[in-house]
Amino acid sequence: MKKDFRVQYPLWQMAFIVLFGFFVFSVTSATTELINSTDEFSYSFELATFESLLLLGSISLTLVLGAIFASKIAKHNKQHPTQKLTMWQIRPLEFLEQDEGMTHITRKAAQKVYTFFVWALPALVAIYLVFELSRFWMILGILFLALMQYIIYYLEVRKHLKEVED
Amino acid sequence: MLHNKVKELRARFGFTQGDLGERVGVTRQTIGFIEKGNFSPSITLALKMAREFEIKVDELFWLEGEKKL
Repeated sequence: MKKDFRVQYPLWQMAFIVLFGFFVFSVTSATTELINSTDEFSYSFELATFESLLLLGSISLTLVLGAIFASKIAKHNKQHPTQKLTMWQIRPLEFLEQDEGMTHITRKAAQKVYTFFVWALPALVAIYLVFELSRFWMILGILFLALMQYIIYYLEVRKHLKEVED
Repeated sequence: MLHNKVKELRARFGFTQGDLGERVGVTRQTIGFIEKGNFSPSITLALKMAREFEIKVDELFWLEGEKKL
């Protein structure tokens, strides 16, 4: 089960979302200055030491994880030549509909994710309407929904696959 | 709910879940879902499985409350 890409894929997405959260934090913490006049146009931003380290760290880690993820996909493609995957396809990788049984659990997991969004999106809109939030908190809210989506998906798929492994 | 005797017949024929899955063109996990009663197979898959065990579909699968053939 652990080798099944269906189980692993949401974990990778969660890791990328968390790293993107750090990236957003460091970028939104920057002091920005925009000068747009008839004489001059310039844009500059200044990062504190901690935010700079966070920015560089999150970018570096994303690149490293991206490379490992790409190698995992290449390995999967070698093992499953008839079900090749690409990082750049429009269709999410979780829809690896191998057969009717696996499609069934993907559908069940997707239904749970859809139910979550039906409630979470209006709730997020309501929060944004009531509170005056900074750019960072607004992006963080969206990233939180994305993270929850993959947690729900992961737990549902894992539950079904674990049942048949036991 | 759909009941079945896939597990019983699979053991009798000496197939692993992977063997049976390969014979009928599905993954090992799908055979597991069917055996556990978590998933009802399509007519096509049910026919393929019954054919592997050389029995009729309604001998392999039956509805809850109905008598096992």
